[in-house]
Amino acid sequence: MPESIPASLIIDTLKDTFREARAARTAEGWGRAPHDHLGWILSVPDTHQKTVLAALDKEQALRVLTCATEDEAVTIAAGLHAGGEPVALMIQHAGLYASVNTLRGVAMDGRVPTFYMIGLLSRERDKAPRESRHSMVRYCEPLLDTFGVPHARLEGPNDVHLIPEYYRLSRQRRGPAAVLVGLETS
Amino acid sequence: MAMKPEDVLRAVHAVRGAAICIPTMTTAPAWRDIAPDDLSVACVGFMGGASSLGLGLALARPERRVIVFDGDGSLLMQLGSLATIAGARPRNLVHLLFKNGVYHTSGSQEIPGGLTVDFVTMARGAGYRAAFAVGELDELKRRLPGLLKDEGPILVELHTTLAEQTPMTAGGGAPFHEQIARVRARLLAES
Repeated sequence: MPESIPASLIIDTLKDTFREARAARTAEGWGRAPHDHLGWILSVPDTHQKTVLAALDKEQALRVLTCATEDEAVTIAAGLHAGGEPVALMIQHAGLYASVNTLRGVAMDGRVPTFYMIGLLSRERDKAPRESRHSMVRYCEPLLDTFGVPHARLEGPNDVHLIPEYYRLSRQRRGPAAVLVGLETS
Repeated sequence: MAMKPEDVLRAVHAVRGAAICIPTMTTAPAWRDIAPDDLSVACVGFMGGASSLGLGLALARPERRVIVFDGDGSLLMQLGSLATIAGARPRNLVHLLFKNGVYHTSGSQEIPGGLTVDFVTMARGAGYRAAFAVGELDELKRRLPGLLKDEGPILVELHTTLAEQTPMTAGGGAPFHEQIARVRARLLAES
């Protein structure tokens, strides 16, 4: 049975992920970072991850930028990447559907490492997302499959290791990779 | 008297220094000829994204000026980016809006509202530090030095004619991924 993941665990994992990304950036030859924070969270508010977003408001090490749309978030992420900055997106499944052309045109065609955390709002605890009675839950994984975007589900605290793994994967494949947040964070 | 977009681009090129430039749609072919360098990324294939790409670069490299060459039809596709940019308050971002009232690339259909849409008021309302309109090339040339040093975000609504070329008539240009890789490599080398 899936379990809710505490916000603090997700934030600590993101910090570790960005520390690793900063080290990789230095190894690549980038000079001193122009910012004190570890990395950027581009968010279009997601009900499913709202405890994480609330906790991020008090967080100094991660810079959160709220975007008006997911199209913006993906494209801003491309600019940050081009400028050498680590970045992660926090959106919900409906936002993925809304921004499919940007997924294709920017993240995929632009070969931009783009790491998504996608909340599966309304996902039933006792069902696999593909069996959900809600179309917005049901179509998320098939959509990612259609576009060849690798993805994995965070089904509990033991799965947070997937965050750095899929972040790295987005860098390795130079394109999008996603983790899906199975239940509302706590 | 509206300005020719190519004249505007040449005027910007003359003073831009090491600014990163983000052309989109009908400014892309002309800019490619005027400034064939590795500090430009053209947005074609995801109309509306220029302002956001410019914002990301401006946030990543705050020491460097970023100039977006947006279109009126393009900006309408992601109008919320005005608020996102204003909220992020990038001091180094200049948003040049080429206003011709039509979707030139797809056959010059009028944009919603046509030339009556007031992007200056929209940018001010969103929270840009400054926004104004320019219809004369001489005035633009006078104001360009200020645009390259004043605190942003700044939006300039440029009243322009249609460009000589569109991405459909001109063709060519490096793929988006090559442009992203080139600008990243340049910024890495100069970091």
